[in-house]
Amino acid sequence: MKWYDRITSIDRRIIYMLLTVLVILPFFVNVNIPQKIMPQTQRLFDFIESVPPNDKAVMISFDYSPQTMPECHPMAQALLKHCFARGIPVIGLSFDPEAPGLALDALTRVVHEFDSLAAGKDDSLIYGVNYVYLGWKSGRIAAQLDMGESISGVYPRDYFGNLIETLPLMQKVNNYKNIAIVVILASADYPIDWIRYPQTRYGVKVGAGLTAVMAPQYYPFVQTGQVSGLMSGMKGAAEYETLVLEHGYARTLGTAETGMNSQSMIHILIMAFIILGNVGYFFSRRGKRKGTHE
Amino acid sequence: MKRKLPLAICFIMGISMMVQFFIPHPVSLEFSSVIYKWIIVLMAFALVLAIGNLIRHHTTKIRRKSIDWQYSIVTLAGMVAMAIIGLTWGVDPDSLYQTIYLNVMAPLGGTMFALLAYYMASAAYRAFRARSLEATLLLASAFIVMIGFMPFGQYIHPRFPAFAEWVMKVPNMASQRGILLGVAFGSIATALKIILGIERSWLGGKE
Amino acid sequence: MSSDPWIWIGAVLTLMIFSFLYKDNPFYKFGEHLFVGIANGYYIVYYWQNALKPNLFEPLSAGQFIYIVPLLLGLMYFTRFIPRISWVVRIPIGFTIGWGAGLSIPAYFQADILRQLEGTVVTPATFSNPANGIWAVIILIGVVCTLIYFFFSREHKGLLGSASRLGIIFIMIGFGASFGYTVMARVSLLIGRIQFLLGPWLGFID
Repeated sequence: MKWYDRITSIDRRIIYMLLTVLVILPFFVNVNIPQKIMPQTQRLFDFIESVPPNDKAVMISFDYSPQTMPECHPMAQALLKHCFARGIPVIGLSFDPEAPGLALDALTRVVHEFDSLAAGKDDSLIYGVNYVYLGWKSGRIAAQLDMGESISGVYPRDYFGNLIETLPLMQKVNNYKNIAIVVILASADYPIDWIRYPQTRYGVKVGAGLTAVMAPQYYPFVQTGQVSGLMSGMKGAAEYETLVLEHGYARTLGTAETGMNSQSMIHILIMAFIILGNVGYFFSRRGKRKGTHE
Repeated sequence: MKRKLPLAICFIMGISMMVQFFIPHPVSLEFSSVIYKWIIVLMAFALVLAIGNLIRHHTTKIRRKSIDWQYSIVTLAGMVAMAIIGLTWGVDPDSLYQTIYLNVMAPLGGTMFALLAYYMASAAYRAFRARSLEATLLLASAFIVMIGFMPFGQYIHPRFPAFAEWVMKVPNMASQRGILLGVAFGSIATALKIILGIERSWLGGKE
Repeated sequence: MSSDPWIWIGAVLTLMIFSFLYKDNPFYKFGEHLFVGIANGYYIVYYWQNALKPNLFEPLSAGQFIYIVPLLLGLMYFTRFIPRISWVVRIPIGFTIGWGAGLSIPAYFQADILRQLEGTVVTPATFSNPANGIWAVIILIGVVCTLIYFFFSREHKGLLGSASRLGIIFIMIGFGASFGYTVMARVSLLIGRIQFLLGPWLGFID
């Protein structure tokens, strides 16, 4: 077998092994390369920064599943830390049926972290006052449009079965007029429905935290201003975590930042394999042509 | 009747919702709000049907003792157990339901998607060839994005990340917008065909 | 190493699914079928608790009998299983599809077409920053050529052919960028699983 045929027929198990090693290695070798913040992540951060405390609420639509947890869960936690640290009330909801468990996990973790650092009861986060989780609802577009008139019409009870009108936060927030921005953390095409329907009808501002697969499709919406800011994949989550830390809203970086070194190593590996495959391909083609001429 | 009635309902609903968009009168808004609530209920019923189908599929597999029928028992047992746990003991953050979700469902689902990284690496190595100008452009663009958006990209050249950002904001955005417009025109045409009864494949069946 | 049995369950299930990389095996099949079952049990609870109970049965119990209409429409879905009256399932389908189609037309026009065309059009104001002006012209050319590439009603010859060729160049650059992001996405998912195994389970990392 010629060398160029060898390099195009490496066993897939070797590829799998190298991939696994290069994902694990950076966790044990501490290299801290600073993140360059992408403009669209900065725009989302700046928008949340501009929301006055204890005024309008930020609505977060948790629409990601366990399959995309490594990308979207750190986004959720960083965003929640940002909102809570600035005193912005948060209303959570979900339209993906697999999301509520993760939404609750993110809320529980962040609230617990805040409460453990709180000086007294007044600094603690109180359910129903500082944040509410409405839960999952079917008929996504219908629910999004109906909330433009009345949120309690769509969600008569919250996730835990409490009547909406008994929650102090929901007495102040009736519909989108009391919402500063809806940030959709999604692993499917949910943000585009928010743009097409509630934003078109009610003018609600939309931000997004997306898996990296979907991010390129949303650049046209960022350019027109239909999306006020965008976090893209684990990198976007790492950037938001960095911004939240730099502004003193968190004490430690999250899991996305620690995964970026592994991300870099794997990118180099995949590019190396693609180059290897192409080198072998070109030399093999040349070899075949020479053989034909001879 | 069997085809005319559903087509008529589809037409009436389609025209109503199109017209309602342009009428901000309270009666119009109340009408749309009522319809939205009905749709929420209907979507839930549609999903109930999906679960019914799943139960039917697996019970048939067990009855006929088809290949891997034993795993169908695992599926049905898991479904029944999870439903009973959730409906009986609630869905609070510290409930057994939530614990099973985080420690069984989340790892299983997450790992299935994690396998894709391996398959993608293997497929890129075997199939990604710069056979033509178009394929070379695709490859070059992919490399620019993969290097530019990683932290080490700025050490290759300080302006590399900005160049990667330019690729996303200009040529990528142009093509994505072109595709978006094309899809939008096609969707509107299809929606009109459905409302007017020209597109009838959703009716299914012969009669 | 963790002493929490639930973490161990999560780790064992993770390794069961990873075993598929070697080859298909009973452990993987067990994990796969368990996932489908648990996920559906999870959905049943939500459909009842968050959709059917508060949005149908509670209003009906409170005397809002207008909700009999969606109840009847929803029950019509089940006529699918009765061959003699299976055509009745077309009624709720027609209702939902008609609703969705009618709603989508103005929404797509506004959000996908008008706003996007607004963002594409080049005006003198675009050239207030000369570089942005040049990029805006390139975007306009790219959008038009991409649309021309997908126009198959005429043969791609002459000017149309050249524009189509330019369109494919823009499309390939876009797809390449999407591929780069896809690599990032898939690798992130693997990193997340490895973080779980090394951290909460084995305790090697924080």
